Amino acid sequence: MSSAVEHSTPGHPVNPSGFPGPIERSPGFWRQAWQQYRRKKLAMAALLLVAWLGVVAILAPAIAGTRPVVCKYKGEIYFPALYYFNPDWEPVIFSNDKFRQRYPKNLKEKDPESWAIWPLVFQDPYRRIENNEWDGQKGNPTGANGVPSLRNLMGTRQDGVDVFAQMVHGTTISLLVGFVSMGIASLIGITLGAIAGYVGGWADMLLSRVLEVVLCIPPLALILAVQSILEKPTIWHMMMMIGCTGWTTIARLTRAEFLKLRDADFVLAARAMGLGWPRIVFRHILPNALTPVLVPITFGIASAILTESSLSYLGFGVRPPTPSWGALLNLSRSSNGAMWWLIAFPGSAIFLAVLSYNLIGEGLQEAIDPRLRDAGK
Amino acid sequence: MSNRGSACPPGWRLPESQHAILRSPRIRVGCPDLLFSEEREMPHGIRCLVWCWAVVACAVFAGCSDPDRAPTAGDGAGGTGTTGTSKGTGSAASADGKGVDSGSKPNGDKAGSAEESGADLSAAEEKFVVPSREDVEARANWFDQPVANLLDRRKEQEKGTPPEASAALALRNNTRQTNEQIVATLGRVAQSDDDVDYNATLNKHIKADARSTNPLLQSSVYEVDVQGLIGLLPFTFDRDLNRVGDADVIVSWQTSSDRMMDKVVLRDDLVWSDGHPVTAHDLEFAFQTVMNPKIKVPAIKTSLGRLHAVKAYDDWTVVFFHKEALATNPWNISVPFFPKHIYEKTLAEDPTMEESEAHVELEKNPVVCGPYRLVDRQLGSQYLFERREDWFMHKGKQVRNKPYFKQVRIRVISDLNTALLAVKKGEIDEMELSAEQWVTQTGDDDFYDLNTKASGVEWTTYLFTWNTKTPYFSDVRVRKAMGLAFNHKELHETLNYGLFDAGNGVFHPASWMAPKPGPAPYQQDLDMAEKLLDEAGWVDSDGDGIRDKKIDGKLVKFEFNIICTAVAERIQLCTLLKNCLEQIGVVCNVSPLDFAVLQERTIDHNFHAAFGGWGAGADPDLSFNVYGTDEGRNYGSYSNLEVDKLFMEARHEFDRAKRAKLYARVHELIYADQPATYLFYKNSFYAFSKKLRGYQFSPRGPYHYGPGVLSLYKVRN
Repeated sequence: MSSAVEHSTPGHPVNPSGFPGPIERSPGFWRQAWQQYRRKKLAMAALLLVAWLGVVAILAPAIAGTRPVVCKYKGEIYFPALYYFNPDWEPVIFSNDKFRQRYPKNLKEKDPESWAIWPLVFQDPYRRIENNEWDGQKGNPTGANGVPSLRNLMGTRQDGVDVFAQMVHGTTISLLVGFVSMGIASLIGITLGAIAGYVGGWADMLLSRVLEVVLCIPPLALILAVQSILEKPTIWHMMMMIGCTGWTTIARLTRAEFLKLRDADFVLAARAMGLGWPRIVFRHILPNALTPVLVPITFGIASAILTESSLSYLGFGVRPPTPSWGALLNLSRSSNGAMWWLIAFPGSAIFLAVLSYNLIGEGLQEAIDPRLRDAGK
Repeated sequence: MSNRGSACPPGWRLPESQHAILRSPRIRVGCPDLLFSEEREMPHGIRCLVWCWAVVACAVFAGCSDPDRAPTAGDGAGGTGTTGTSKGTGSAASADGKGVDSGSKPNGDKAGSAEESGADLSAAEEKFVVPSREDVEARANWFDQPVANLLDRRKEQEKGTPPEASAALALRNNTRQTNEQIVATLGRVAQSDDDVDYNATLNKHIKADARSTNPLLQSSVYEVDVQGLIGLLPFTFDRDLNRVGDADVIVSWQTSSDRMMDKVVLRDDLVWSDGHPVTAHDLEFAFQTVMNPKIKVPAIKTSLGRLHAVKAYDDWTVVFFHKEALATNPWNISVPFFPKHIYEKTLAEDPTMEESEAHVELEKNPVVCGPYRLVDRQLGSQYLFERREDWFMHKGKQVRNKPYFKQVRIRVISDLNTALLAVKKGEIDEMELSAEQWVTQTGDDDFYDLNTKASGVEWTTYLFTWNTKTPYFSDVRVRKAMGLAFNHKELHETLNYGLFDAGNGVFHPASWMAPKPGPAPYQQDLDMAEKLLDEAGWVDSDGDGIRDKKIDGKLVKFEFNIICTAVAERIQLCTLLKNCLEQIGVVCNVSPLDFAVLQERTIDHNFHAAFGGWGAGADPDLSFNVYGTDEGRNYGSYSNLEVDKLFMEARHEFDRAKRAKLYARVHELIYADQPATYLFYKNSFYAFSKKLRGYQFSPRGPYHYGPGVLSLYKVRN
């Protein structure tokens, strides 16, 4: 944190050394890391890609769907597309009026005054579009005939469901799996690592052994086992399982950092000032210990996405019919590669997402590790 | 040998499960054979019922991905099966056994209950005193039953100049006509030895490894496939599922006029592979072993449980004593030959037949009496069989047809995509194709270079079973609404590639027991479905868009789970149901399960709705196990006393025309009650090497009847 000062912050009165004039305040650690990070083009591109995926996930119902994003029906404004986030959010009036999930014609028939803003692509991630469901749009092809076309940008599955719509809506799952499962893993890993490192002694001994045990459990096998026991396995269970098995690296790094910092001067100072342990741990040690931990978290996100894809590929992933990239890949198997679009699009999406997180992790590592950071200089 | 194919015990694949029944002994009449499972490996018993879900479906759809379940299924085979031995014990037994905890009553019908549990059996056995030979002869008043060599019979039927094979080989099987032409030409049996390449090896495909080579331990279709080559049964059945004695094995088969006894005289020119003669004592010993309560026999106990005794009066004469005079008795006497001179020494030491050193050795090198013997077995990967000289040559004379292949190799390939690649490369000579493979991956030169394909009608029914004990499906109007809500057209045209016929009930429309004309298949009619749901009291009273109903003062939402095996095609099918029901305010969640879990849940009636299939049993009585009140495979707990009565009546009716009428009535009654939504009948689709000839399809597929796989041969170049 001592390196070059890049700009000054004028007007700061503090001047302990007695020199005249405002002194330049050295940039904070995070700001410095960000500046370092920004210089890495690949890492920045990866970050943008992930941000873009986030946008796609949030806007998915507006990109591909069969429900209006906004519509005015019988004098009221509705947002039927919220259905894609949660089926319960679909306004009840439409089921009462027997829309039967088919909006375009019903809207006009049942209320000629109505208007609607439709998603960019009229395709559904859950079902095949039939002939003329949208005026003039032909039904989706089925079997091996679903080659990518203007109507089906990324082709269709064997049962006629649009791959583009599935890809778009599947983004949510991929992002969720990465963030939620690593969120859980970080929570567990940092807490346990902090206790082990700070308390030391028997606690360290005990937690380290627990950690070793968890390390021995193959997550995939565990998830499969748990899913067969659960009455209604959901994607959240899977994220929890990934999180509960993926915290070991994080815990080990946290523990190491805590061991190192426990006796650092600033901790001794804090202790000498009579601070309680929570304040020492959370306010003083943790922020300083966190940096090395960020790296395994990013890599963990990548591997969580891969785990989800593998599970879905094996047919044990998200509960159908929830769209997922891995599940699409699974469908490509039975065509022996003839339906290349079932391999190419979800495959590259998984590849890019995983690559991005890895690049971000690497960029982060270089940006915050002084040895790596200065290595090139 | 001709029947051997058929002989295969009922383990059959699910689809075949039904036949299974027929074919083998194991089949007890009682059990239907359905498959609910996808694996077609269901045990014999099961076979019947296998639910498609498990089996059939699998097969159908995805190709089953769960080979290992087979064993499970297998156990059940005997019984209803599915799970295991308990079921295996008998269909009835299973009902009893499992039923107890699920609160079912003991099975009412006598015939059914007769076979039940091992304990019952042995008790009954003690009471039954085997009469002397004189007594038997005095009161029997025998009449003859048919005995035939089905391979020779087919040769006779197909006599005449065969059509030129080259034309059929050049065909692309894209239409019904080309399929007929291919089957009619390439499916003919060999008329003369000059056509046959007797040095050829048949490379056959199975989807999962067989559990055992011991004929008494068969339970799934995979063991049946193995036993079809090395095992032997006195009886077989032809393509039309008519029971006949196998002329390769027996001289005569007679039934007493009161139908309480069957007498069989064996040929004296059969020998075990160790040179010991095959005698009637081997049959008696097989029966005693199966009935021995200390010995765990998975599948075949149920059907044999309907017998009082099997008695060998001399080396070649054996009499089967029935407990009741039933139309289904010919299916209950399927006892496989079991080498007494070997096992009488080893059984005492190890009643599991699997653990002792001697039994492990026998498992590897079984003493067999079929046309082939096992020469090499690599667990989980392949079996190699070799033709037995002493099968067709006896004392220097040819006494039976020479088996067509010098060697038969059975390759275990669980992934259907991998198997198809092996077919294209010529590494295996045949495989069953999924609908998707049939339509999209076997149309190019890549496939037709070495192979061709053929299909035939199979009596395997796929359905959604509704659990009538749940608040959702107790009302027949709701069950009908489900059938009306489902988009049958989308299913047939898209998911099934237009290959399968619409389902209209328990019995396949082409079968003798189905009503003619049958009821009309359901078509989607959402308005009607909504009306029925309204009438049944399922309305959206709380305004959340989902139908609900007050039951016992509590508002119950119409939200249920449908279980199926985790195979993409099946999941898509259930998702289609989900989408359709969503349109009328019903929430349906799709729960794909592992096959074993699915079986357990269905047997325990622990589900709302399930997707699966049932293969055809040789005898319609097998369906009693699926639709009879409290029967073992009546997963949906359906009950209609009139249906029960008709089944019982048909069981005691010996005139086929009259039986057909009774079953037609059963079919109509069940269809009106809609305990299940009948979706489609899945046909057989197979790839065959261009060198292969002699395949014909039965309602149980191309192999599981007589002569079945033994009619296959490779042409001489």
